[in-house]
Amino acid sequence: MGFLDDGLEGLQHNVFTAPIEELVKWARRRSLMPATFGLACCAIEMMATGAAHYDMARYGMETFRASPRQADLMIVAGRVSQKMAPVLRTVYDQMMEPKWVISMGVCASSGGMFNNYAIVQGVDQVVPVDVYAPGCPPGPETLLHAILTLHEKIRTGELTQRREENGGGAAIHIEEQPTPVIITSGSSK
Amino acid sequence: MGMLDYVRGFKVTFERLFDERVTTEYPKEKRPKPERFHGRHVLNRHEDGMEKCIGCELCAGVCPAKCIYVRGSDNPVEDPVSPGERFGFVYEINYLRCIHCDMCVEACPTQAITESKLFEFSFTNRSDAIYTKSELVVDDEGKPRKQPWELWHEGDDLNTSGWMRATSSAGRVEYEGVVGWSGELGHGVRSPEVGQSATASSEEGA
Amino acid sequence: MSNETASEGVMVTINGMEISVQPGDLVIDAAERAGAHIPRFCYHPRMSSVGVCRQCLVDIDTGRGPGLQPSCMVPVSEGMVVDTESEGVKRVQEGILELLLINHPLDCPVCDKGGECPLQDQTLTFGPVESRFIEEKRHYEKPIAISDLVYLDRERCVLCDRCTRFAREVAGDPLIHFMQRGNQTQVLTFPDDPFNSYFSGNTVQICPVGALTAKPYRFRARPWDLSEVESTCTTCSVGCRINVQSSRGELLRYQGVDIDSVNHGWLCDKGRFGFEAVNSDERLGTPFVRSDSNPDELVGTDWNTALEAAASALKAASGSSVGVIGGARLSNENAYAWSKFARTVLSTDNVDAQLGDGLCAEMVMSLPRATIDDAATADHVLLLAPDLKEELPVLYLRLRGASQGSTKLIELAPAPTGLTRYTSAAHGYRPGEMGQALDELLGGATGDAMRSGRTVVVIGRPSLADSPGEVEAAVGVAQRLLPEATFLPALRRGNVLGALDMGLAPGVLPGRIANDGSSQAWIDTHWGSIPTERGMDTIAMLEAAASGRLHTLLLIGADPLADVPDRDLVERAFAGVAKIVAVDTFATASVKRADVVLPTTAFAESGGTTTNLEGRISTLGRMVTGPGTVRDDWTIAAELAWRLDADLGLESLPGIWAEIEAVAPSHARCSPSMLSADSEGVLVPLPVVAVPEPDEIADDDADTSEADTSEAEVDEEQAEGAAAVVEAPSVPASVSWSAPALVDPPAVDGYALRLVARRRLYDAAVHTSQASSLAALADDSTLRVHPAELGSLGVESGSRINVTTARATIVLQVTADESVPRGVASMGFNQPGISAAELIDHREPVTEIRIETR
Repeated sequence: MGFLDDGLEGLQHNVFTAPIEELVKWARRRSLMPATFGLACCAIEMMATGAAHYDMARYGMETFRASPRQADLMIVAGRVSQKMAPVLRTVYDQMMEPKWVISMGVCASSGGMFNNYAIVQGVDQVVPVDVYAPGCPPGPETLLHAILTLHEKIRTGELTQRREENGGGAAIHIEEQPTPVIITSGSSK
Repeated sequence: MGMLDYVRGFKVTFERLFDERVTTEYPKEKRPKPERFHGRHVLNRHEDGMEKCIGCELCAGVCPAKCIYVRGSDNPVEDPVSPGERFGFVYEINYLRCIHCDMCVEACPTQAITESKLFEFSFTNRSDAIYTKSELVVDDEGKPRKQPWELWHEGDDLNTSGWMRATSSAGRVEYEGVVGWSGELGHGVRSPEVGQSATASSEEGA
Repeated sequence: MSNETASEGVMVTINGMEISVQPGDLVIDAAERAGAHIPRFCYHPRMSSVGVCRQCLVDIDTGRGPGLQPSCMVPVSEGMVVDTESEGVKRVQEGILELLLINHPLDCPVCDKGGECPLQDQTLTFGPVESRFIEEKRHYEKPIAISDLVYLDRERCVLCDRCTRFAREVAGDPLIHFMQRGNQTQVLTFPDDPFNSYFSGNTVQICPVGALTAKPYRFRARPWDLSEVESTCTTCSVGCRINVQSSRGELLRYQGVDIDSVNHGWLCDKGRFGFEAVNSDERLGTPFVRSDSNPDELVGTDWNTALEAAASALKAASGSSVGVIGGARLSNENAYAWSKFARTVLSTDNVDAQLGDGLCAEMVMSLPRATIDDAATADHVLLLAPDLKEELPVLYLRLRGASQGSTKLIELAPAPTGLTRYTSAAHGYRPGEMGQALDELLGGATGDAMRSGRTVVVIGRPSLADSPGEVEAAVGVAQRLLPEATFLPALRRGNVLGALDMGLAPGVLPGRIANDGSSQAWIDTHWGSIPTERGMDTIAMLEAAASGRLHTLLLIGADPLADVPDRDLVERAFAGVAKIVAVDTFATASVKRADVVLPTTAFAESGGTTTNLEGRISTLGRMVTGPGTVRDDWTIAAELAWRLDADLGLESLPGIWAEIEAVAPSHARCSPSMLSADSEGVLVPLPVVAVPEPDEIADDDADTSEADTSEAEVDEEQAEGAAAVVEAPSVPASVSWSAPALVDPPAVDGYALRLVARRRLYDAAVHTSQASSLAALADDSTLRVHPAELGSLGVESGSRINVTTARATIVLQVTADESVPRGVASMGFNQPGISAAELIDHREPVTEIRIETR
């Protein structure tokens, strides 16, 4: 355990290392390198995001890297077919740590309107997704919003943003169920 | 390739150097969006505050992505939620499925569901993406409710029911251009957009 | 078109196409067959035509030029020319629809019918684009509850007369009527009379608009998100064909399917709304075992623990000290699995699907079986049955319909039943004297009339307070005096006939063969060796348990505490056995007494087949997944067998059916493709094929081609066996039964009344009590006595009294009822809070009660 073995994660958190952590986080979020993973129509919008009108380079995302070895952000842009899923995973595995995934568009996020056997119903079945960008396809602004959300996530290290404060959401709770008991008093032998 | 070729190449660069910038400084500023942009939905209310949604599930039935889940229920007689016998007591839209095709808006018999121009949101959690009825229904001013993860720019919450029918549901050509729009909370009866109503277009289009 | 071959057909021209139709057919039906759909609202093929909606007007030319006539009122005639698409017809269709829509509120988005509404569909297809009527529509209070199950919305009504005609013509409960005249005409119930019919749900199904909607389905789903599968209702043994509809994994609606042989599309309300019990939160979703620390608790556990506990309880009992009760609510496949499990793994013949409230299995199987259609077309139907309106409601509808035609119903009942109004002769008898009364009845002119025509005898238990021996003796009388008659067993539980066919009765093996040694060779080749000593029936098992001779009771979906007509015996039996293992869907009173509870799937949660009271096998549809970790009965049986070091060899439902086809002689050749080919199902045993197979022609024994009795089937199978290389055992003969002799009726006690205990449609059993809409309808907790009897006892109608038998004294409300004969008291068998089972001693031929004021 220590800096030599585990890198930054091995550092003890204290008053001296805290600014280093801030620095590292700043450096990471200001130099995300996306791997190209345009699969369908979303890729057009992803390209538009890189072009002059929106210019992702403003956030240090200079170019889409053709090699996963040079990338740390995978933007899954489009519907992932069952055949593509292992390829996607391979590319993800080849990316350098630390790495992040943005699921761009509803097809990548949940299969979208392609509710059928050919399409992976959510790319998070294949790779861990950090940010989901809704839309069909999401415009450059939505993708930029997703990138900014990812920046925020890297900055705060926060994992979820669930809104307990406004009581919304689908309220999916899985609670430990008590063991059911049937009281049969008076009728037992 | 001589030296002159480089100069010729840089000529393009230098020519553009003092042109106006085309890059939008998003998120500080946003490019203008069309009037009928398909953003996230809102559930409208009548002028008296009652919900327009009657829980008929037509939107859920027509949705090609099956992203809408509605359950109807008997309207409580003493404290009705919507006019009539039935109201939607569950209304959920999964924005990781919605393709913003607006079929739900076309199907809605009461103009309860319309699409706003809000589209700048992303989620770090799948369950965040399911907007429930409390988040979709407009507030007491008839404005959409801002969710913490949404980015709103000036004026985005206006015209949240900006989409309008160009034809009647029966598809008769006589109705083309005539807007049948019921009053809604905070807005009253909206005036037709330019070019929408036969009379309005003749007045304003002239 | 099969009708084209008919030589006596009438040639008519429909839309320029000449076709041959049966004489007497209506134009609307003929056009339908010719591919021309005529819009209609009032016309329904199962009810008389009235021609009130005028929607089906078409141009009919019978030689005097075309003219608009209602096609549902005009029978075809030779040379008729029909045009359903002429300009005039189109105009009148548009006009009528515009008229019907004048006052229709068009609230389709909130209407339960929207999406499957004939008015909606036909307006889109045939209607005008736009109405000229802009006036304010008529307003009524909406919706109004006209019964506990049905809402009426008069604004939507188009006055088609379907519900009113159904109530009047089909159900015989004319409780819903047209009121007022002219523009004010409306459908309504009488002010103090709700639409309390057992068949009210049918009006919802046949309503062509959303005027009648069902409470249990109200706003629960829209038609387009329902998925459906065809199945057979197993609420009672009539076996009505239904469409099971669900959405989001929840059963939401049953709709009747129109099949000629059974239900004609009708259902009773108990069957129609019984899906609520399947959806009930009270369903058992996990296995339970009795807690070691607190004997008053059953604690939820996992399947391994529970199956282990069940297996050890069964292992501790040897062949004769284990009893298996129940199985009449299961599919054929599940019943077969338990039958095989009991015989081969438990090595016992102590199995009985009936709970002492049925008839002798051998009698039911050996009597010549009638079908429902036989009964509905017979010259005479002799009813020696319980109240069919209460127990088998759709059979009641069929017989009631038959009584409107040429069929004469003759009833012999201890107290009037729902069918009494429709009989040509209703005879009463004092409980205990059924055989004598029948002997007298059939010996006279009535018997002569019945012998001269085709007669069907409906047999069952007219009163659960009398011993079943009385019915058996009476059936013996009927068989002797009506030698040509066929019999329809009116047993109640869903698949009781199927369970008996699968061998869930002592001394009976699958396929209606006897387990008496004669079938040993046959069953040995399929099952291996099984005990041939005749086992005990339910009553005998309970008696053995009470005297400590049974170690373990296995209850398969059985609630003896509620259903055996002797509560005291069941109490003593449950106290006397060491272990009770219950396989059930709900924690019934008996399940609460068990040591191990294994939860199982309910209706629509498993596939398979079921058998109705005619012996008609039809398929069950699987629509939803059961709660928690419930399993099918056959997998539980297979698992238990595995833990008892045996292998049932059952792997799937189709696999079990294939085994049944091979093992059960009565079910031979009844293939899955035959079952799935037709909604009507398959009547077993199948008639013997008249043409011998090629390999049999050479065989010397193949001389059975003309015979069509079951013996012939046996011979044929023998022939097949002889031709085969490996010598297979011969198919054993069907079970036989000889009627017991008439015994002298018990002496009349002048101070006592004889009890008639009959089941009502809605009772305290889970099928009603767990269905939220039906539970409140079970409220018949009074004793009905003739007012003269009450007068002589000095008891006032409506007062609470003590009812005493040798078994118990219970407190009941008494009601004066002139329809109850003197000397008799009538009550519901299993109603909430009270049960006649407490009063009944199964050893007594009749139950005599004494009434005392409190």
